[in-house]
Amino acid sequence: MRTNLTSATAIALFLSLSTSAAHAEEVTAWRLFISDHADPKVTVIDAVDGGKLDTFKIKGPASLHRSESGRTVFAVQGSAGVVTGIASGISFEDHGEHGDIDVEAPKLAGLEITGKKPSHFVEHDGDFAAFFDGEGVARIISEKVVLEGKSDFREVKTDAPQHGVAVAYGSHVLLSEPNREKPDELPVGIRVADEAGAPIGGIHACPDLHGEASSGNILAFACATGLLVVSHGDGTPAIRHLPYADSLPDGKTTTLIGGRGLQYFLGNYGADKVVLIDPTLEGVAFRLISLPTRRVHFAVDPVRAKYAYIFTEDGQLHQLDVVKGEIANSLKLTDPYSMDGHWSEPRPRVAVAGDRIVVTDPLKGVLYLVDATSFEKTGDIAVEGKPFNIVSVGGSGQTHEGE
Amino acid sequence: MSRTLKLAAAMGVIASLPITPSVAAAENLKVVASFSIIADFAKNVGGDRVDIITLVGPNGDAHVYEPKPADAATVGSADVVLVNGLQFEGFLQRLVEASATKAPVVELTKGGEVLRNTEEEGHHDQDNAAKGEAGHAAEAEEGHEEGHHYHGESDPHAWQSVHNAELYVKNIADTFCAADAAGCDTYRANAESYGQQLEALEAEIKAAVAEIPEDKRTIITSHDAYGYFEHEYGIKFLAPEGVSTESEASAADVAALIKQIRQDKASAIFVENVTNPRLIEQIASETGLKIGGELYSDALSDENGPAATYLEMMRHNITAIKGAILGS
Repeated sequence: MRTNLTSATAIALFLSLSTSAAHAEEVTAWRLFISDHADPKVTVIDAVDGGKLDTFKIKGPASLHRSESGRTVFAVQGSAGVVTGIASGISFEDHGEHGDIDVEAPKLAGLEITGKKPSHFVEHDGDFAAFFDGEGVARIISEKVVLEGKSDFREVKTDAPQHGVAVAYGSHVLLSEPNREKPDELPVGIRVADEAGAPIGGIHACPDLHGEASSGNILAFACATGLLVVSHGDGTPAIRHLPYADSLPDGKTTTLIGGRGLQYFLGNYGADKVVLIDPTLEGVAFRLISLPTRRVHFAVDPVRAKYAYIFTEDGQLHQLDVVKGEIANSLKLTDPYSMDGHWSEPRPRVAVAGDRIVVTDPLKGVLYLVDATSFEKTGDIAVEGKPFNIVSVGGSGQTHEGE
Repeated sequence: MSRTLKLAAAMGVIASLPITPSVAAAENLKVVASFSIIADFAKNVGGDRVDIITLVGPNGDAHVYEPKPADAATVGSADVVLVNGLQFEGFLQRLVEASATKAPVVELTKGGEVLRNTEEEGHHDQDNAAKGEAGHAAEAEEGHEEGHHYHGESDPHAWQSVHNAELYVKNIADTFCAADAAGCDTYRANAESYGQQLEALEAEIKAAVAEIPEDKRTIITSHDAYGYFEHEYGIKFLAPEGVSTESEASAADVAALIKQIRQDKASAIFVENVTNPRLIEQIASETGLKIGGELYSDALSDENGPAATYLEMMRHNITAIKGAILGS
């Protein structure tokens, strides 16, 4: 049997009615990985029953990233100068007409990539690129290697330290170009390089580059002037600049997330607005949505493609209908979390785990659970410390007796 | 495929919701077609009583299409949504869910004989028909849970048989009649007229194939889009990619194909309008085959191209195939 039923993971079992897999069981498993704002640790919670599965000690407070496959979670510890890989313990295998799920205990994968000030961490097609600001270096590793417990990364260097980003894009690497005149400021563009880091062509201008996301087969970088939109070209990546619409007020996007199921991007645009972006539409690519107060965090719903969620400093979670381009529902969850003060102060973060939206409340030490269909609060989970960044991993699949 | 195709059973167009009868007579039926070939069928049946919006347009690849929020809005406001089914539109379920549409979503292949996808059998020649398999797993769309997805078991490219195109047209006429009873006579008359053009087209294709020597009827294309054409008309197609363009061919797939090309003495090789020509150019180079032109597989050309309609597409393809083989 593929599922390790002796693990501490609580799983939901349902008999499958599939005639093609008469003895198969449908299994649903979701896990929450939560970093603490103060303590160097990652707590793993079973999202099905709310129980704690494990706590992993790391080197410093971390931002978390999950892989597309869900098999790996990365803890990027900027102040400690290390990226740690964690095997989520949940994996899927495509069997044509159905998919199998394999559930094991989460564990440290054995990967540690060290360097000065790791910051942006980007996955593209199973390759991860961690950018180390203090060195201006990207360290790239595949998920396959990570899950083998190895740390065999390759390095691609830029010309100078910078608050940068890199994307391993097939046989190319997209690298941020440092601001040579003002090294302390944000990058000024994107350069395409071959796998060894040798530049190909010139710089694609992207002043104040900050924010990157993928949606479907499009990758985008946010700039002061608009987006750089990257798609598969003929041999090399095709990059074009999409300027902000004239109808938008002054502003820019500095944080970008990509839609799942529907192809779109959601970016901040000033403190109390967000912008929905469809880079394929000429002339009407940007739709501006005003928020009641300043934005704290946002996330897309990977299952209900129609929705994204935005948390604002008044303690409300908002359900954004990305088709209509409007807030569909709002729900008060926490006390106010002012956006005054340092950007990295403990404030709520949002993740989606199957049919639940999960919001961290770091000052209360609680995770709030919101039903994604009814958009009503359905429960909470206490977590020691200051639960801060959160990612979820999981899904449903079949297991088979006798395997 | 025999002429006993289950047309009699074709009444069973699949609909996610009951068809809402009759829009106001003064309003055109708002029709969404998932891709350009279906849009062309719908235009021929609906005439000036329907307004058609196409999701995946000319030269677009529906296998890898990424639906946008604007598409969801379009589907949400439609009276009728026409799709191929057989999991050709991998994006369909998430798009329909996001749209919250109340319109019927009609699978136009319903009721037809379905060929089995042979993608998992190493190389990609299509020789097997899952005869009588009318109960295809159309509703088991690509899984939308995170972390994995499912591929269909059937070859979705049913329109590559003109005989099947007649089924599409019949299903469209039935759908339009259910949604707009006042226009039903028009739809039936249009379908019959267009059906006559399809019958003439099929006769042309069969006549063209008859002129090709039997030992020269093996050709190469980019992906397995021509299983129905092969089954119906007797041209054997080999391809490095499977029935979906979503997965690229592996080096082993390409090597096996090149070996098979040499064994089977393929007569011609073609690029497709919906795929990158690079791989075909590589295979042509390694096998010494000359590229015989561009075939239209999963999408029409734009209106200035040689395949702006289904009739033009099929004529273009058989003309290109015959010309390349006989000229080789």
